[in-house]
Amino acid sequence: MTTDTPKDETIAASNGGRSLVEKSLVKAHIIAALAFMVCSMLVGLIISFQFFNHNPLDGVSEYLSFGRLRMIHTNQIAYGFLVNGFVGMLYYAVPRMTGRPVLGKKLGWIIFWVWQFLIFMVTVGLLMGRAQGVEWGETPTGFEPGTFRMNFLPVDFLIEFGALLVAAQFLTPLAKSVHKRMYVSSWYISAGIIWLILTYVMGNTLPEWSLAGSSGGATVGLFIHDLVGLFVTPMGWGLMYFFVPIILRKPIWSHALSVIGFWALAFFYPLNGVHHFLLSSIPMSVQYGAVISTIAVEIVVTTVVVNFFATMWGRGAALRTNLPIRWFYTGMVCYFITCLQCSFQTTLTFQEYIHFTDWVPAHAHLVMLGVFAFWILGMITWIWPRLTGCDWHNRRLNQWHYWLSVIGLVIMFTDLTAGGLVHGFMFAELAPWMSIVDSLKPFWMIRTVAGLMIVIGQLCFAWNVYKTAMGTGKPYDYRVDLVAIEEK
Amino acid sequence: MDKFKSVILFAGFGCFIFSVLLSGLYPFLITDAKVERATIEELASHVLPDFKSMSDSWPLAFDQSFARSDEVYTEAALVAIKNEKIEALPKELSPPARAEALKKIGDEIDALRTTSDELWPKVFAEALELGRNRYVGDACWHCHSQFVRPVANEEQRYGPVNTTEQDNNDLQRPMMWGTRRVGPDLTYEGGKRSNDWHAAHLYDPQSTTPGSVMPRFPFYSREGFRVVRKIAPKKARAGYLDPNTGIIVRREIFGSKADAESAMGEIVEEEIARKGLKRENSGDAEAITNLEESYWVEEAVGPNQKGLSLIAYLQWLGTWRPEDTREINDE
Repeated sequence: MTTDTPKDETIAASNGGRSLVEKSLVKAHIIAALAFMVCSMLVGLIISFQFFNHNPLDGVSEYLSFGRLRMIHTNQIAYGFLVNGFVGMLYYAVPRMTGRPVLGKKLGWIIFWVWQFLIFMVTVGLLMGRAQGVEWGETPTGFEPGTFRMNFLPVDFLIEFGALLVAAQFLTPLAKSVHKRMYVSSWYISAGIIWLILTYVMGNTLPEWSLAGSSGGATVGLFIHDLVGLFVTPMGWGLMYFFVPIILRKPIWSHALSVIGFWALAFFYPLNGVHHFLLSSIPMSVQYGAVISTIAVEIVVTTVVVNFFATMWGRGAALRTNLPIRWFYTGMVCYFITCLQCSFQTTLTFQEYIHFTDWVPAHAHLVMLGVFAFWILGMITWIWPRLTGCDWHNRRLNQWHYWLSVIGLVIMFTDLTAGGLVHGFMFAELAPWMSIVDSLKPFWMIRTVAGLMIVIGQLCFAWNVYKTAMGTGKPYDYRVDLVAIEEK
Repeated sequence: MDKFKSVILFAGFGCFIFSVLLSGLYPFLITDAKVERATIEELASHVLPDFKSMSDSWPLAFDQSFARSDEVYTEAALVAIKNEKIEALPKELSPPARAEALKKIGDEIDALRTTSDELWPKVFAEALELGRNRYVGDACWHCHSQFVRPVANEEQRYGPVNTTEQDNNDLQRPMMWGTRRVGPDLTYEGGKRSNDWHAAHLYDPQSTTPGSVMPRFPFYSREGFRVVRKIAPKKARAGYLDPNTGIIVRREIFGSKADAESAMGEIVEEEIARKGLKRENSGDAEAITNLEESYWVEEAVGPNQKGLSLIAYLQWLGTWRPEDTREINDE
């Protein structure tokens, strides 16, 4: 990074000869992430048939009823795919960024199995109807709502324990970095880990046991948004700031800009939460505060977007030749659209029509799939041959993965957004409820088709990842994917 | 590594705690802290007639569903018990002895009524809590909101805008406002529709709302048998009632066919006695056979404990609306 970077040999010697990156842990987390992603998407695909009364599981079993499966769809993406994906990438990025290995390899395996066990128990708990009534935080508390009568394993508190282990694992190398200066990714990752713990504690205690009414609504809103804004976003940005310069073989355009982005994120993002419950009984002053800070976040986001596109400047050819960069680029375009959309939809004018409609799931899919999942998938595409030492089993399948995912997402987003507008306006003009539902059914059918495309894309990728890991016989030569430096 | 500490302290802890104070504690202080949060016992203190009538509609399921729910009676049930007891009195009693026996029956009924009145709120509270737990666990709240906003004509469609007092109760912990409406808002669902409608709708939403995309919840029902009888030919108006459909005689859903048949036997015997027919009279034989043939037992479903408690919760929604102290909201 800078001239005061110690030599590799010095770093290795100071770590007692331990290898920096534990490749097996990165691999394990990637496999878990992909498994949960495919599982979650399949569940999402199946339940999407409910919206035109063709759900094969409708009325079959209490454990497989629509509501419970819907929560598995969101929770496995949040805790199964995103967390595993990010943690796996952290095992690669943090030691390389700090010159220090993570706290412990054994600890790493304990974290891995504890975490998979917990997500499995979350799934079991949700299937048994033990969900917590907090959106995105349906992970079972183990207690009946608002009481201390146990009805399940207290998964929430164990997740908290798992998050503390994750913090110990990664904050140790971050605190002991061999570099004198702290790269912006470290800022995001350090703060993101702390935020994850705090957010999770807040969201799983306050609405459940202490606050009801409008303050309960406010804290639920905070939890929904902090999980996105204070965990997923800083991890995503931190890893992008790490991987993009490495792949493009040039430093980011402006470190100062990225640090401004960090502090603005830290200040404005946590204040956004209440915008999930606008026009509610939460005091208007707090609602306006949330609206204003949401719009402020768009300025923050612009720093990341500008920094990315400015770093891309002069490396445009990589979009054609380098699939990971194309994933990042697509994700960044989606990110810009999402955040622009955010600053409009958070206003009370938009809220009147779009709240409670399919506009919101459209937005959520654009953020979680179009941005963060695309970034993680790009990172996996880049890292997998390097981890296994084998070249891709079939590079064409990766192209299929990309195009099916992107086209599927674009269809799903436009379709649901349009459906949301139809819903919003019909609702406001007092159309009978069933006429609204009937008007939305075509949109819901198209959504299922789009979902099918996305799932097929992921299956292509999962198959390719599996075949590559099994050994393709072709050793990976990183120079194949090297981004050409265009001389001016 | 000074920056590491400042990132952890100021960004990690500082900004987060600031945000919780500003958007969690501050709204609490200026709204919910000024009203006392209602407990479930308070919410259940006024037992809704819809809930009481469930014990008449599905007595077997109701008696098994909640703690001591077999000890509560509705006014109609008490009258029935009283009549039964009076009928059971020996016919040859002298007037003073009969008056005394009647007084004794009256006292017994009063005692039942007193226990019932004490127990009803407890049974209702338990049902409400169980129903809410279903509502949370089966994620009803992901498709139904409980949150009427002052825009988009929602007041015309559903009712008054939600107030903070209304939501400051233990059944809203965690709060069930919801963020998506695939189905309609349920803030004021209570009393809008009958228990039977809810039972049928949960069993198969399309039976009450053709085209509905709501999932079916047959798990809220228990399957069993009930007693029905043929419609009297003169009452079966052409094109209005299908003469082959049974009219429900007793709404109870029996667990086994044998139970239902024995109940049917009792009903038939009662009917025979009421019409003054006698089995020994050969002249009555045809009438008795006709009567017996006009009753039969058919398969039926009725809500089980989950269904009863969820219907209780749905019928409660919006019935609890404490005094509006809205000015604290408008400041």
